[in-house]
Amino acid sequence: MSDEAPKLEARNVSKNFGNLKAVSGVSMRVGHGELRAIIGPNGAGKTTFFNLITGFFPPSSGEIRLDGHDISRVPAAARVKMGMGRTFQITEIFPELTVRENTRIAVETGLGFSLRAWLNAADRKRVADASEEVMTMANLTSKADRLVGELSHGDQRSAEIAMALALKPSLLLLDEPTAGMGDEETYQVTGLIRRLHRDSKYTIVLIEHDMRVVFHLADRISVLAEGKLLAEGTPEEISANEHVQNAYLGKAE
Amino acid sequence: MSTAMTTGRAPGTRAYLQLGIIWALLLTVPAWLPMLGGYTAIAGRVLVFALAAMSFNMLLGFTGVMSFGHAAYFGLGAYGAGLTLKYVAASTPLAILAGTLLGGIAGTLFGLLLVRRRGVYFAMVTIAFGQVCFYIAYKWDSFTGGYDGLRGFLRAPIDLGFTKIDIAGNETLFYFFVLLVFGLAVGLQALILASPFGRTLLAIRENERRARFLGLPVERHIWLSFSISCFFTALAGTLYALLNNFADPLGLNYVMSGNIVMITVMGGMRTFWGPLVGAVLFVMLQDYVSSMTTNWMFFVGTVFVAVVLFFPRGLMGMLQKRSGA
Amino acid sequence: MLQLVLFNLTNGLIVGAFYVLMALGLSLIINLSNVVNFAHGNFLAIGGYIAYTLTPYLGFWGALLVSPFLTAIFGFAIEKLMIRHVYARNHIYSLLLTFGLGFILQDACRYIWGPSPLPLGIPDVLSLPLTPDLFFVTWYRVFMVVVVVVAVGGLFALLRYTRVGMRIRAGTLDLDTVSALGVNVAALRSYNFAVGSFLAGLAGVLAAGQIGLNPNMGDDLIMPSFIAIIVGGVGSLTGTLLGGLLIGVAAALTTVFYPAGAEAVIYIIMAIVLLVRPRGLLGEEGMLT
Repeated sequence: MSDEAPKLEARNVSKNFGNLKAVSGVSMRVGHGELRAIIGPNGAGKTTFFNLITGFFPPSSGEIRLDGHDISRVPAAARVKMGMGRTFQITEIFPELTVRENTRIAVETGLGFSLRAWLNAADRKRVADASEEVMTMANLTSKADRLVGELSHGDQRSAEIAMALALKPSLLLLDEPTAGMGDEETYQVTGLIRRLHRDSKYTIVLIEHDMRVVFHLADRISVLAEGKLLAEGTPEEISANEHVQNAYLGKAE
Repeated sequence: MSTAMTTGRAPGTRAYLQLGIIWALLLTVPAWLPMLGGYTAIAGRVLVFALAAMSFNMLLGFTGVMSFGHAAYFGLGAYGAGLTLKYVAASTPLAILAGTLLGGIAGTLFGLLLVRRRGVYFAMVTIAFGQVCFYIAYKWDSFTGGYDGLRGFLRAPIDLGFTKIDIAGNETLFYFFVLLVFGLAVGLQALILASPFGRTLLAIRENERRARFLGLPVERHIWLSFSISCFFTALAGTLYALLNNFADPLGLNYVMSGNIVMITVMGGMRTFWGPLVGAVLFVMLQDYVSSMTTNWMFFVGTVFVAVVLFFPRGLMGMLQKRSGA
Repeated sequence: MLQLVLFNLTNGLIVGAFYVLMALGLSLIINLSNVVNFAHGNFLAIGGYIAYTLTPYLGFWGALLVSPFLTAIFGFAIEKLMIRHVYARNHIYSLLLTFGLGFILQDACRYIWGPSPLPLGIPDVLSLPLTPDLFFVTWYRVFMVVVVVVAVGGLFALLRYTRVGMRIRAGTLDLDTVSALGVNVAALRSYNFAVGSFLAGLAGVLAAGQIGLNPNMGDDLIMPSFIAIIVGGVGSLTGTLLGGLLIGVAAALTTVFYPAGAEAVIYIIMAIVLLVRPRGLLGEEGMLT
């Protein structure tokens, strides 16, 4: 059954904060290996929806399913163990540690070594190899021994994605991966995401404001507005959709 | 070594050099300190404060959590050792073990109540818990000696079967005994900090949210760090009791917690050896300044405030930064 | 026996009132600036000493009125000179800074006014007992409670009805929004710190009239004030008020039945609250960092 189930499914999910309906009745199915973009004007509930998926808080009603299993009440840390990796709108890294240390901590946590006081040679090599692997994926090997806090914005974002990858996720959630970046850095991060998508090991869901990035990367796009799902479809369908144009694209500059 | 631990870089020649200098100086104290007008007991005090501060720094510098109540565990260690010597048996190792367990276990239990608190709240609760221990020692006259402190015990020579080490009568031998315990303890601390577990502490210090979303049970790790830190601090406390043949209720007071904090911060809380440097500075200030002026608190306070405002990395941090480490 | 009970109860009420005054000032500063002012007890001492210096010229009543304001100005200056420089840093630094400041202030008091205890003269009317039967309850004790009630009422009115007060309350809830609305947060924090210092200064004058002056007179009050805040819940002034009264009365009642446990009971209450309701009686989750 879980083979047929979508990778990620939201069933009629709502989240209220007091009287405010941040997300109301959103349903969404994301297939295995798909790259899904979620767009929408500010305050549309995108980040709230993300927080519901990653378990930052539970939904007020509705269900979230991962590989067919209901995870609505599963805490965030346990969802990480189920294969959910996440990056944040504001880059969340360990600034005063090196790139290598950042990825190493992630790898060790992923492997369940976080309470170990000692690693044998085989485990040490496993950790070193895995952290080397994700740094290579993120194009950071040349900067492995520099403090992450001293790197450029784009490299910091890449390092954050590398840390998420170190946990061997099957589902990657990227919250505005190119936020606040110049063209060159956007290009760098977009390239990284495209490479990850090409491997097709990962299902990727991302929130993004930069429409060039969205239309360039996404297999399918979901549009949120005022907490509701306004439209869903391929980039072509979305750009042709009148509702979306009125509600969102028309207002964009 | 210290550089490696704070920044995650591979230890370089400079770190080994630093390590070599520190140990060369510590091992030769009885030879050079009297020439500077010091006495060996003062070096013992430096080591004890340094161990307490380095243990505390596992929490402040390497986990990013502020405890203002570490005097409690230091003091419990001292009382545990003193009471053991006085009422149980004249055995120095047993006294050390008992004191360390007493302080460490108390800290571990308090830690359970603490770990969900953060920031200023965490600090306030730690200090309040510390005062609980102070009041117990202070009020329980018949057992702890109350206000006057616990007297009437002496550190016992260590019997190895084939020979006795007279740490009771020979000050120099006792210094080396303290140095041995200090060396073992900080060596163990270095191992812990360089382990995967130690790295999770750095991760929590650097970014708690990120650590949580890596799937780390942050509360449990902070609790473990707190507990380990308390055991080592209590160990330092046992040595303090042995050093003075006396356990002082003021050693449990929050002023003592403040001293541990000041030592750590002045020395450099992001470095492994910073607290040792801080302890040297602090003991010197305590001894020399208090002999010159009655207003030594003013002096120490001013130095400390200046460090906090202008040199938050402390002495050791400044040295490392300057030399481009 | 009845007299003993009454004596301890009035004592507890007065002690609780002091806890409240101290804790409210501390709490104000924690809420808006995320700074635990370790030197708060020293502000209390300074308030008392200033009153001592002023009494020969202004009399007790004048000193009582003027000293809290001078303490407030002093607090305002200290905030501007030192404390504001660490707001941007981790909260650890503000703890360290005020701890060191406490050292400096305590020794400064010792240097200026001497290490030995000093009395603060109070008007004769106030030192009379209430009635001959209740010889231990002086008018001064009643007076202290009245002043504290007025001060606390004044503080809550200030926070509710004045512009600065409303901004302080709003800033406690959501500093970013207040800042985005164009309020000068830096100035707000300075005023707020001054208000907190005012309360400490007032407590200092009152305490000096009862127990006299010494350089570390604030030390015994600072720890119960912390506990009042923890028990009441960080982030809530009403909680602090409640917490202060609760531990004051609990300590007094314990004194009646088991004097040695008077101080312990405060900590026991704290431990129970932390176990049963970790955020404190009226504290809000999420205001703890």
